[in-house]
Amino acid sequence: MIGILRYLRGYLRIKVWGFSPERFMNLCSNKEILLWDIARDGDAYYMNISLRGFYRLRSIVKKTGTRVAILQRYGLPFFIPTLVARKVFLAGFVLAVAFWLWSSHYIWDIELAGNYQITQDAFDDFLEQENITVGLKKSELDIEELEKEIRRAFPQVTWTCAMLSGTRLRIEIKENDVPMPEEQAQQGCTDLVAEFEGTVVSMIVRSGVPQVAIGDTVEPGTILVAGMVPIYNDDKTVKGYLPVTSDADIMVEHIRTEEFTLPFEYVKKEYTGRTEVRHFLRGWEKEWRLPQERPFLVYDSVIRENRPLLFEKLSIPVYWGDYTYREYLDVEYRYSPEEAQELLNEKLNTFLTSLEEKGVQILEKDVRIDTSGEEWLMYGEFLVQEPAGRSVSAEIPDTGENEVNE
Amino acid sequence: MDSLKLPKDVCLGALRVTLTGSTEAWIENYKGILEYTEHMIILQGKTCQACFEGSRLSIDYYTNEDMKISGCINCVRYL
Repeated sequence: MIGILRYLRGYLRIKVWGFSPERFMNLCSNKEILLWDIARDGDAYYMNISLRGFYRLRSIVKKTGTRVAILQRYGLPFFIPTLVARKVFLAGFVLAVAFWLWSSHYIWDIELAGNYQITQDAFDDFLEQENITVGLKKSELDIEELEKEIRRAFPQVTWTCAMLSGTRLRIEIKENDVPMPEEQAQQGCTDLVAEFEGTVVSMIVRSGVPQVAIGDTVEPGTILVAGMVPIYNDDKTVKGYLPVTSDADIMVEHIRTEEFTLPFEYVKKEYTGRTEVRHFLRGWEKEWRLPQERPFLVYDSVIRENRPLLFEKLSIPVYWGDYTYREYLDVEYRYSPEEAQELLNEKLNTFLTSLEEKGVQILEKDVRIDTSGEEWLMYGEFLVQEPAGRSVSAEIPDTGENEVNE
Repeated sequence: MDSLKLPKDVCLGALRVTLTGSTEAWIENYKGILEYTEHMIILQGKTCQACFEGSRLSIDYYTNEDMKISGCINCVRYL
C-alpha cells in the first residue's frame, strides 16, 4: 500500500556526497522529509526521496555543503508526461476502453438451455420475430415481456427464465414432460369411435353412453361411446340430449401385422486417412477463409469452432476455427444372414417397445424372416390388446324438441 | 516514575532499540546520525550514543520518529 502511494506521488533515487551527508540526512528528518533505502557506496550515499521533499532540499544542501544528483525518476508524475507524448498510444487506449464500455451495452450472445422438444432453429425464428437478435441494445430488452411471449408462443413451456449475464442473454426453459392430450383440442360434444377391427375386451366409461359391450366385435368407425346423453320423459320418450365429451378406457383385441424390410446391400463410408485442414475466421454472418480448390473427390468435413470470451462475461460474435476435410470411399457391402437377422430383430424390438409405451399388451406373436426380391423381409403377426377410441364430433340427433343444455 | 507508571524511554530520553535477530533493528528516540558507513552506524541519543557494528549495513527508512537498520549486525555498543 505504501509502495502504491509512493508511486502515485512520485519519488526519486538520488546520490548525495560532499562535506556532511550525515547532517544532510538529519536535517531531512527534522524537516519531515522521508528518506528510505539509504545505502553507502564509497564516499557517496544513495537514497530515495519523495518528489515533494526533493523540492525542499535547496536550503539543506546549502547548509550541509553537500551535492545532490538525481539518478532515477519513478512514479505517476513522471509517467503521465511520457504517456501524453505518445498520443497515438493514448488515443488507442482511450478508444479501446470506450469501445469496451460501448459494447457492454449490447447483447452479443444468446444462449438457450433446457429445450428438448423445441428446436434451436424454431426458437431462433421466434426470437427474430420478437426482434431479439445479437446486437440488440440491453435497454431495449424487456425481460418480463420476453418470458411472457415465450410462454405464449410455446404452450409446452411450463417455466421460463431469461437473464442477462454481462453481454450474454441466457434463456432457460422447462418443457412439459407429459404429452399434451389431443382430446383437449376437441372440446364440446364428441363420440369415441373404433380405429380398427377387433373384439372389445374391457371398458371403463367415464362420460358418455356406451354403445358396445364387452365381447362385441367392432369395425373401424363403429361408435364405442356416444357423446349425446339422452334425457327421457316420464313416458320413456326422448325429451332431449345432453352433449358431453366422451371419455373411456376401452381395450380392443385384434391381430396387428407389421413388415420390416432390409436391403441386401448397403453402402459404408471407408475413410482413406487423407485429411486437409483449412482455417477460417467468422464475424457476425460473414466468413473469411483462404480460397481453395475442392480438396478431394468425395469427402466430409468436421468443423471446429472457437469463441473468445473476455473476462468470462463479455462475448464477442467473432469465431475462428478450422474445417477438417476427410476423404472417404463409398464401399458396397452385403449383409450376411446373421447380420440381417440381428438388424431386423433390432427393428422388431424397437417396434415392440413403442407398442408397450402406448399401453398395448402383446398376447401372441408370430414372426418370420424371408427374402423378397432384393431385400430381406420380416413379417410379423401380433395378437394384441390395444386402447381404442378416437374422438370425433358427435352429430346431434333430431328429436323435434329443444336441446337441453347444462 | 515507577509509581506513576510512566514510560521510561519518554521520560528519560533513552534510546529504544528493537532487534530482530541479527538482521534488523528499529530505533526510536534518537537525535540524529553521527556517522554512517557500511560497517558502522553511530546514532546520537539524548543522553548517550549508540554504535551498531556489522557488515552490509543500510538504512531502510529514516524519519524524525524512528528508523530501521538492516544488514548483518554483530554488535550494539553504547558510547
